[in-house]
Amino acid sequence: MRVTQNLNQTQFLTALNTLESNLSQTQNQVATNLSFTTPSQNPVAAGAVNNYNQALAQSKQYDTNANSAQTRLGTEDSALSQVQSALQSLRDLALQANSGTVSSQNRSSIAAQATQIQSSLVSLANAQDGNGEYIFGGYSTQTQPFALNATGASYSGDLGQRQVQIAAGQSIPDGDSGATVFNQIKTGNGTFTATAGVANTGSGVVGANSVSNAAAYDGGTYAINFTAANTYEVRDSSNVLVTSGSYTDGQAISFRGVQVTLSGQPATGDTFSVAPSTNQSIFTTVQNLVTALQASSSTVGANTQLSNSVNVALNNIDQALNQTSNVRADIGGRLNAITTQLSVSSSQQIQLQSSISSLQSLDYASATTKLSEENVTLSAAMQAYTLTQNLSLFKYL
Amino acid sequence: MSDVFGISVSALQAFQSAISVTSNNIANANTPGYARESIDLTSAAPQANGVLSVGNGVVVNGISRTFSQATANQLNASQSSLGQLTALQSYSSQIDNLVGTTAGGLSTAVQGFYSAWSDVANSPTSTATRQALLGKAQSVASTFQSTSSQLDALNTDINSRITSDVQQINTLGASISTLNKQIIVSTAQSGGQVPNDLIDQRDQLVSNLSKLTGITTTTDSNGSLNVFVGNGQPLVLQGNTTTLTTVPNQFDASQLEVSTSTSSGNVISSQITSGDLGGLLAARSQVVNPAKNQLGQIATAFTETVNSQQNAGLDLTGKLGTNLFSVGAPLATASSKNTGGATATVSVASVGALTANDYVLSYKGGAYSLTNAADGSAVSFSGSGTSASPLTADGLSIVLSATPASGDQFLIQPTAQAAGSISSVITDPSQIAAAGAVQTSPASANTGTSTISSGTVVNAANANLLTTATIQFTTPTTYSINGAGSYTYAAGGNITQNGWQVQISGVPAAGDSFTVQSNAGATGDNRNALLGASQQTLPVLGNGTISVNGAVSALVTGIGSQAQQINTAQTAQTAVNSQAVSNQQSVSGVNLDEEAAKLLQWQQAYQAAAKALQIGSSLFQSLLTAVQSA
Repeated sequence: MRVTQNLNQTQFLTALNTLESNLSQTQNQVATNLSFTTPSQNPVAAGAVNNYNQALAQSKQYDTNANSAQTRLGTEDSALSQVQSALQSLRDLALQANSGTVSSQNRSSIAAQATQIQSSLVSLANAQDGNGEYIFGGYSTQTQPFALNATGASYSGDLGQRQVQIAAGQSIPDGDSGATVFNQIKTGNGTFTATAGVANTGSGVVGANSVSNAAAYDGGTYAINFTAANTYEVRDSSNVLVTSGSYTDGQAISFRGVQVTLSGQPATGDTFSVAPSTNQSIFTTVQNLVTALQASSSTVGANTQLSNSVNVALNNIDQALNQTSNVRADIGGRLNAITTQLSVSSSQQIQLQSSISSLQSLDYASATTKLSEENVTLSAAMQAYTLTQNLSLFKYL
Repeated sequence: MSDVFGISVSALQAFQSAISVTSNNIANANTPGYARESIDLTSAAPQANGVLSVGNGVVVNGISRTFSQATANQLNASQSSLGQLTALQSYSSQIDNLVGTTAGGLSTAVQGFYSAWSDVANSPTSTATRQALLGKAQSVASTFQSTSSQLDALNTDINSRITSDVQQINTLGASISTLNKQIIVSTAQSGGQVPNDLIDQRDQLVSNLSKLTGITTTTDSNGSLNVFVGNGQPLVLQGNTTTLTTVPNQFDASQLEVSTSTSSGNVISSQITSGDLGGLLAARSQVVNPAKNQLGQIATAFTETVNSQQNAGLDLTGKLGTNLFSVGAPLATASSKNTGGATATVSVASVGALTANDYVLSYKGGAYSLTNAADGSAVSFSGSGTSASPLTADGLSIVLSATPASGDQFLIQPTAQAAGSISSVITDPSQIAAAGAVQTSPASANTGTSTISSGTVVNAANANLLTTATIQFTTPTTYSINGAGSYTYAAGGNITQNGWQVQISGVPAAGDSFTVQSNAGATGDNRNALLGASQQTLPVLGNGTISVNGAVSALVTGIGSQAQQINTAQTAQTAVNSQAVSNQQSVSGVNLDEEAAKLLQWQQAYQAAAKALQIGSSLFQSLLTAVQSA
């Protein structure tokens, strides 16, 4: 084949161009530490890196969400731990008031302390997080949820419970509605409430009461009526006789799966009622206690009434303590879930990072080898060119 | 004796010519299009001298070009292919760089937008997080816009290159026809001797033309060359040329087409598939416009999903959210050739079914037909084109203002302008709808153990969505809504009314009631923001199989693969072309060493002929001397 000088020249220039562009690309790869800088260099990896980057950013966002929930739940938990100790002090005060040896002066001082505790409870229930949002307002986080009133406290929040997404498909609440925490507390023992009639004249006091057979209790309302000082009968809401018996101080009266213990000496005509538990706010409970403590109690009947009221309050405070513990346990569970998720996501992120890096990062060993190979090729091509360019018959003419 | 002089002189003249030819070859060693020449020598007719027949010297028959039409044709075809791929490659690599590994920052912007929704969900009352979300929305919109406008700039560039290519083609065509005329005249004047230099020039012009567009050529018996483009459209016929022009596309005036006359009826763009011009047209239809459509498809789906979520929630002021983004509706352009006055209006009926294709809607003989604009394949549709029964196909809904004239056509571009027209329209951070639209609550007097879910929005367009409704249990197993109806209670079942949906579970008691009402005032609610953030992975495109970000990744891979494929094809064609060049050079190129050798050959021959002349002269002298001395 005839080879002309012109062709030689053109081909050398084309080759030079290709070699220099390859060298420049490898050089760029080494300088950026990227195995590809445009999608065309590795289309599939480019798309995959994009997906991994998205997953990585999302995982980091989940961490941000989890941290924000962690902070908010921490604030809620510390508020609730203070609520618990306030309720505990309230309980101690109620027990103290119920000891029977307390003078009316002391009682009013106890009442004053209880009032004090109530206002601190309200301020805890109105706790705000770092963003100034009310923790216990449900969704209405910019409205102060609780305000004291004559019967306890009004609630302006709602039942909403905000969720935070901490992982794909996993959301946790970052708080609890004030209605759940403070308002929806079952009265009595959680199933029913036993209360003494307001018109009672005897010294009968409602003591421990419980459900002995949950299946047998139908949730109805019953009245325990004393037909004589030591005889009682139990009637349901339709005034149908359920049972009757003779009364012994401190011995439980059992019917329809419930047990009610009365102590003291009820008078003829005294009644006690058993009614299903209803929801009562902790503030109403405290308010009722304060009202009872403030009432004068010089008579036997008034003393009995005070004892009954304090007993009811103690029951309700215990329910509130239960509720608070439950909520705190729940918060603990959520915080655990967050911690677990944070560690899962941290290993997930390491995994994603390494996937991205395996696709996108440059293999320096092979890249530098390639770089020197290309370097050698280029200089060889240049040398070959200068050698062949020297060849010309005209030099010998 | 005289024949020695005659023979020697003929040799001297012939060798002088040969040296001239060789010198000319050397002189034109680097001239593009030059085909090396060689001298044709034959011995002169012998002179009968008795029984002997002595030769009569040498005759120069002519000077011929060393040229192979086959290799030239091969080279021209290869140059056309290379020209096409090079033009195509220049645009595909520009888009490759433009899109980069993050789709021009689109994936980062979209990711940032969804993260900002999460931040709003974490702290829905904070103006700062809401403002940040608006900022991210702005950045998504401007990323779409800037990518789209860069694609538009490529189209503008393609238009100007088409115009300049067409001008060059016309100039080359005119020069070829001029040379045709000169060659005919010159051949006639020189008694059939072909004017090599003019033919070299003409071949070079044809070669240049083949870089611009694919051509075919034929040679007439009188030596003139005819050049055809496309599917045999004559560009040069002997001394006549056809002038190509650019005309606006019948649907889209911003895109230039190549035509054989100023009438848009003679558009030959689709026939030009090679050369630089073919590459430009292919870059537009295969690379730039599809990228713009795909980007628009993503923009449309993104807008649609964000807006529908935004509409389903309440903003800080307790109103239902308004659209966060606005995006241009699909385009429907009537052909400039339409004879009827009907206009088409297209809207997106289902984002999931939307494609990145363009369509041509034709009306002929009383029936519509819909085809894919790229490949002409038929697209199935239903409906009759009226507003009561729109034509529906591929997630589109098309309504014609009137029945078109027969033969009328419309170009439907569902997503072409979406990416360029997307904008973020909310500026007040309080208008971000982070809260759920409804809230539910049990009546405080409820005695049953049932609970109600917080409520979701299934149809944000329902006018009564925010109207307070009461679900009242008339018995433990039946309930009424707003006092009407009697429905059987199923624990955990969906209860749907007024565009919302709730579930009640547990054991309700007769008389229990639940209220579903507007969530206004619940500024700390983040339910809608959570849903907004979760759309990141929500598959909306491709009939609910691909998420927005998934589509961005697919765009990156798609553009990358295309660019890679074009790069590979271009590299391969470069090799093919270089082979064709060396074949052609091998035949017609000038090798200087060869010329040097020839130069020596002719020089020696010339010296020998001169010596023969000298010997002839001395022979004659000897004879004269002999005669004188005798």
